[in-house]
Amino acid sequence: MIGENFIRRMEEIVGKEYVRHSHADRELYSYDASLVNGIPGLIVFPGTTEELAEVQRAAHAAKIPSVARGFATNLSGGVITRDGGLVVALARFNKILSINPESRYAVVQTGVTNLEVQEAVAPLGMFFPPDPASQKVATIGGTVGENSGGPRCLKYGVTSNHILGMKMVMANGEIVDIAGPSFDPPGYDLRGLVVGSEGCLGMVTEVTVKITPKTESVITMLAIYDEVPHAANSVSAIVRAGILPLTLEMMDNTIIKAVEKGGPCGYPQDAAAVLIIEVEGMVTGLKEQADKIVEICMATKCREVRVAKNQAERDLLWKGRRGAFGAICNLSPNYLVNDGCVLRTLLPEALERVVAISKKYGCPVGNVFHAGDGNLHPLLMFDSRNPKELEQVHKAGVEIMELCAELGGTISGEHGVGHEKQDAMHFIFSGNDLNTQQAVKLALDPGNVLNPNKIIPLPAAGKDKLPLTEPTILKRLGGAKAAGVAEAIASIKEARSAKKPLRVVGGGTFNGIGNRLAASVVPLATDKMTEFIEYDSDNQFITAGAGVTLAALQEKLASHNQWLPVRPPYFTTESTTGSIVALAAAGPERQAYGAPRDMLLGLQYIDSSGNMVTTGGKVMKNVAGYDMTRLLTGSLGSLGCITEATWKVSTKPECCHMVGATGSLSNCNAAALKIIISNLLPVSVVIVPQGADWKLLVGFEGLEMVVPSQIERCSAMMVLAGLKPAGETSYPLLTGGHGDLFTGIWQQPTVLQADVVIARVVELYEGLAKIAQPDNLLLDVACGRVHAGFTKLSAAQWKEIDTLASRCQGHACLVKAPDTFRNEVDLYGSPRREWKLSHLIKQALDPERMFAPGILPGRV
Amino acid sequence: MTVLENYDAIAKCNKCGFCHVACPIFRSTGHESGVARGRLAMLRGIIEKRIEWNEELEDPLFTCLGCEACTTNCFGAVPTAELVLAARGEYYDKVGKKPAHRLLFEHLLPYPKRLHLAARAAAYGKNSGASKLANALGLLRIFGRDLPKAEGIVDKLPTSSFRGTLKPGTYPGKGEKLKIGYFVGCGIDVIQIEAGKATFAALQERGKSVTVINNCCCGLPPYSYGDIENAKKLAKKNLETFEGLDVDVIVTDCASCAAFLKKYPKVFKDDPYYERAKRCLPKVRDVVEFLYADQPVGATGQAPVGTYHDPHGAAATAQKVSSDKKVIVTYHDPCHAVRGQKIRNEPREILKKIPGVEYKEMAEADWCCGGAGSYALTHYELSQKVLDRKMDNVKKTNADLLVTSCPGCMIQLAFGIKRHGLKTRVVHISEMINYMETKK
Repeated sequence: MIGENFIRRMEEIVGKEYVRHSHADRELYSYDASLVNGIPGLIVFPGTTEELAEVQRAAHAAKIPSVARGFATNLSGGVITRDGGLVVALARFNKILSINPESRYAVVQTGVTNLEVQEAVAPLGMFFPPDPASQKVATIGGTVGENSGGPRCLKYGVTSNHILGMKMVMANGEIVDIAGPSFDPPGYDLRGLVVGSEGCLGMVTEVTVKITPKTESVITMLAIYDEVPHAANSVSAIVRAGILPLTLEMMDNTIIKAVEKGGPCGYPQDAAAVLIIEVEGMVTGLKEQADKIVEICMATKCREVRVAKNQAERDLLWKGRRGAFGAICNLSPNYLVNDGCVLRTLLPEALERVVAISKKYGCPVGNVFHAGDGNLHPLLMFDSRNPKELEQVHKAGVEIMELCAELGGTISGEHGVGHEKQDAMHFIFSGNDLNTQQAVKLALDPGNVLNPNKIIPLPAAGKDKLPLTEPTILKRLGGAKAAGVAEAIASIKEARSAKKPLRVVGGGTFNGIGNRLAASVVPLATDKMTEFIEYDSDNQFITAGAGVTLAALQEKLASHNQWLPVRPPYFTTESTTGSIVALAAAGPERQAYGAPRDMLLGLQYIDSSGNMVTTGGKVMKNVAGYDMTRLLTGSLGSLGCITEATWKVSTKPECCHMVGATGSLSNCNAAALKIIISNLLPVSVVIVPQGADWKLLVGFEGLEMVVPSQIERCSAMMVLAGLKPAGETSYPLLTGGHGDLFTGIWQQPTVLQADVVIARVVELYEGLAKIAQPDNLLLDVACGRVHAGFTKLSAAQWKEIDTLASRCQGHACLVKAPDTFRNEVDLYGSPRREWKLSHLIKQALDPERMFAPGILPGRV
Repeated sequence: MTVLENYDAIAKCNKCGFCHVACPIFRSTGHESGVARGRLAMLRGIIEKRIEWNEELEDPLFTCLGCEACTTNCFGAVPTAELVLAARGEYYDKVGKKPAHRLLFEHLLPYPKRLHLAARAAAYGKNSGASKLANALGLLRIFGRDLPKAEGIVDKLPTSSFRGTLKPGTYPGKGEKLKIGYFVGCGIDVIQIEAGKATFAALQERGKSVTVINNCCCGLPPYSYGDIENAKKLAKKNLETFEGLDVDVIVTDCASCAAFLKKYPKVFKDDPYYERAKRCLPKVRDVVEFLYADQPVGATGQAPVGTYHDPHGAAATAQKVSSDKKVIVTYHDPCHAVRGQKIRNEPREILKKIPGVEYKEMAEADWCCGGAGSYALTHYELSQKVLDRKMDNVKKTNADLLVTSCPGCMIQLAFGIKRHGLKTRVVHISEMINYMETKK
């Protein structure tokens, strides 16, 4: 497949020394950290995005499959070419391009390791939350490709939550910038889709990562157990008590021995299991949280809890934990690791059955895993020199994935599907789910040349699609059986045969959102989808029909002292949870709590042919397949009718307090920027006009014991910045502290939402005031967002605002505008190259333009 | 041991990839052939007959510095450098290149006098600008393709040798009872003569007598080329010399020699010389160990300077800002000290106690400098990339003095200092001790 000419072409592009194809070289690029291997035809080492683009253009033209590769610590065969294709090694993309602490982002090339990013931002008091155990050597490219987790994602969420944008080379060699340092750009959530796409949608060369201030303090504990189930019980009990530790890691005796054999790390070798539990936050109250955890552990039959006395002890514990996979070689030459997830409360059962499987196939097992997330890592030991053992271990691996699916979980929580788990995708997804995912892949890579034949199981020979089977193992509630869904399916089928496009409507609050539709549409009501399909407070998730209002959802959750931490602006009591999904709506707490994209665990929706599609699941981590959940979130109902959503929910904070201070805009801003990058952990930082002056409002939510100390320090910072204290108030949890301001803005006929980098919010506002003075205004500094209401805004002014937002590294959209205005202009501003990708996906998933035609940016 | 005989050790690598982060070569090339995982995969490929013995193996086998940083980072402690060195011998046998190195190993290294002569000839050639003479002499020609570029590495060769001025024999010292043998490594003998003099002076301060040993090369160079036979020959010669000495300890100021002398029992595994090697072992000391043990106040039990860090927890440890007038000193760990002999805290403790010294730890102090014996000559470009990284770290300390304890490192570091135009001076730790003692 790869001929002399192609090799010469590669040498022309990247230089002879960066093209390798000797027998030895090919052997060296035939493996990763998994058991999958495949000899590539050629390895190239491009040095720039432009070189890579040219390489990819040539490969595309020659129909040669290619796969991007970092340092190949992949655990699912994701960077292996099985077709003798081209390996594009990104080792030369090893620079950190910029660090912008004040706006909380950094731009790094994909060949930089996770640890190098951590080390670069640490002196600024910041960190990058994703921390795969292999962070020393895992590259950012791989972290993005796999949507990696790591111990800290219990508290901070997976990689996707911390990625703002990327530069990517498409299958055809086109270079495209996706999103950027500002939040939530218009169009589909492409960065969400690309994260976790295992290099199958594009080759990412630069990533814009969100960086986060380090907390004031951390306490590391080692809880020691005489029996494994007791440790698992502690995990459930801690989370059930409403404590959110930074990490909750478990290691069993086998792993402890393997690790200690490689060098003492402070683990007791006689323990059946240990938990590494960390809590972090303000110094005030942290000790009490740690004490409470100790109490819970002891109540669940823990032998002893040791607290790391200093950084050296802490480092040593983590060294052992992070090196555990490698340490297996002290017991056995090879291991196969699964990374399925189950509900946390089912861990004892899951672990017991893993042991049974290990016995059945004669491969000893060790467990080291992210217990807090229910993310198993059974390491099955064997010697790959023995073919019989290899065969047995693969069977055991499959059976463990079956087990996870049977327990309602997923086959992969963080290592990716790659080649290794491809067939197991059938356990949890239907044929239609998988065909839909593959359609997305082919929309962006029509020639199927980028890391082809991975993730999605291959159809039978001669077929281009999988049969429409149900998942072979996973049983789901809801779906087509849920209230209101059958009717919606019927309406869609009917509309389709009548060739009448549809528009999904929720509570009616946001019927005017998005671009003017290109055709008259039939409303498709979701008001019957009001079922609570599943609520599991112990495992912190709820599945509710799209027609359930946010208010009703919160009421339900309140019964267990839980809530969904979103306060979307302009929402009324009628507004549905379905519309949160469709709009990806979030208020000023977005920086602290995340956006809907970060809280949605899974969705079900009806596609344009009237079939159900399932995305995600209900476990905390899930990287099985493309991230369709994020693709659908914020898709404005243009890809299908969302029927139900599964949300990750949180324990209610004990109190919500806001502290205010007044002064000049520049003083308010200076104070705001300092507070945002401090370790004070504010939930919202907002500036609003206050007569001739301005008012800075900072919200804190959490424990009664902690919040007052945060407020105190925050007030001091405000005074230091020359502001005049304006008191402290408490506010209601569900509506937040700014409800009235948003109501005021929404009363205007034209409402703007502009997102820019944090440090340039005021610059944007000042530019805005010159173009058109807003009548209502809220500067959400922490999110880099400006909300403004105008009694009048012309198309010409809008154009200027759009340009202004671009200049501030962001984007603007009108979330509300008069009909006459909507007839004339695109409410998302001037076209961006990345919109094309959204349009290709729309075309692939809704070819007949059944859902809200014209609503998308670019009026598609 | 052949590659096949090492199958179990090779198969222990489960490809976790943690070695990537520690390997100075991989960090320079980004190529899998330059990292333990890749080298082991290659060896396994040979055993499992996917790979043939041919020139393609040269990079994976010969770009290894042998610094063993991978092994330190490996939870299974797979001794990749050892396995690779062992395979080098087989490479020469199977790929058929008769190594020119043998000339050096067989005819020069066993005979200190011949080595002195050769070095002097080379020095005259080099110092007079007629550096081609060094080539003509055949001493350096063997190092291959990168040599012309590498000629500048040794700035100026001394025209006499250490043992040319201070003949082997026993000299009186100021100490009370200890009889010290001083093992003079080739690098000290013919290049770092000042360091040798400083060591000798420091030993004289401490010993009742100091015997300058008439040793030959320790054997490490042939060992590094997989030439175990010649390594053993040299080792045997030395063991016989040691047995004839009346000394309590054998001290050397070359970390590489010290590490290799300590390895003699391992080299003679399954050999009649094993017992003799084992008997000698307890006497051997690196000069750093020796000087440290001799200090009035013993070990301080300080936590090891770790290479593992979790920046989320560990804020970059703030370096104390200097009060003025102090000499800023930093230390480079020779691979053969820090990993070869687990000497890590000792030199730092010694340096911190020297009056007028402000000790500043440099980042990645335990990373190889790229010298690695003849590596700087055989793989000039790569070795310079490794050195550049080291120099960046030196630069950040703003050190006046860069201290180490290996003559090979000293040559490489001094070359880096010159190339990067730094003001830092490279000195041997013995010179620091001497400095302190002359101050007293």
